[in-house]
Amino acid sequence: MLAAVFNLNHHASYVHWHSISLSVSNVLVIAAMFVVFFAAILLPFPRGSRKGSS
Amino acid sequence: MSVSAEDRSWTGRVRRRAVAALPPEKLLPDKQPSYVSSWIYVLGVVSLSCLVVVIASGTILALKGPEWWHFTSVGHFFNSIHLWAVELFFFSMVVHLWGKYWMAAWRGGRARVWITGAVTFLVAIPCALTGYVSQQNFDAQWISTQAKDAMNAAGIGAFFNLMNFGQMYSYHVLLLPVLVVLIVSAHVLLVRRHGVVPPFELDEKLALARAGMVPEAGGGSAAAEPEGPAPGVDGDAQP
Repeated sequence: MLAAVFNLNHHASYVHWHSISLSVSNVLVIAAMFVVFFAAILLPFPRGSRKGSS
Repeated sequence: MSVSAEDRSWTGRVRRRAVAALPPEKLLPDKQPSYVSSWIYVLGVVSLSCLVVVIASGTILALKGPEWWHFTSVGHFFNSIHLWAVELFFFSMVVHLWGKYWMAAWRGGRARVWITGAVTFLVAIPCALTGYVSQQNFDAQWISTQAKDAMNAAGIGAFFNLMNFGQMYSYHVLLLPVLVVLIVSAHVLLVRRHGVVPPFELDEKLALARAGMVPEAGGGSAAAEPEGPAPGVDGDAQP
């Protein structure tokens, strides 16, 4: 049986802010969502032809 | 004035109303406005693609059962595909929601598009929760006991018992996926009917102002703008 790439046999680390408690992995996923959101807005979209209708 | 056979039949009336609301060139368009050429517009179809994978993998899991998805390698693989497709579905759906919120995509008579999207999000959450309690492992038992307290605190514990596996599995495999698919279908058909919302007019004015600042030697045409999504529309734009 293949070992997991990441060792999951330990307690998760949590980030606490007032009553909000998020695991570090959850925080990373939320950060990735922000990255994807801003990348989707800012990155240029490939165009096949200059005059747009596709 | 005689009444034709078509007018007398409800199928004819439904057909005419459906074709009037969604003619074939709107139902299955072959061109799009130029402002749709942006990555932010890809997230809706990514969500749809993830939903298709979720439904397909979930169907196979339902056909084969928990012994298969826990104790065979192929079953475990399909279980993982189903889980990660759900994770990607929520990831892309929420980023899609952010994009639609900040571009005020309910403009131009598109309130129902926004509403069906929001309701899809709200229905998908219990659909995922019922899936988590249906895993047939200790983690699912933990989630069901903890979430049962939450449902009881919310006053719906008598009707939605997370420790009732039969009820939760049925909600997850049949009732909630059917609801999600129906609402998503309505959402997509409404987008087809009303068209993709154009950018704010301010963006269009700013782009025209920038084009006006281009030096005369380069040609004064607004079409000389080099990169980025064009605010002007080609093809089939609907305001």
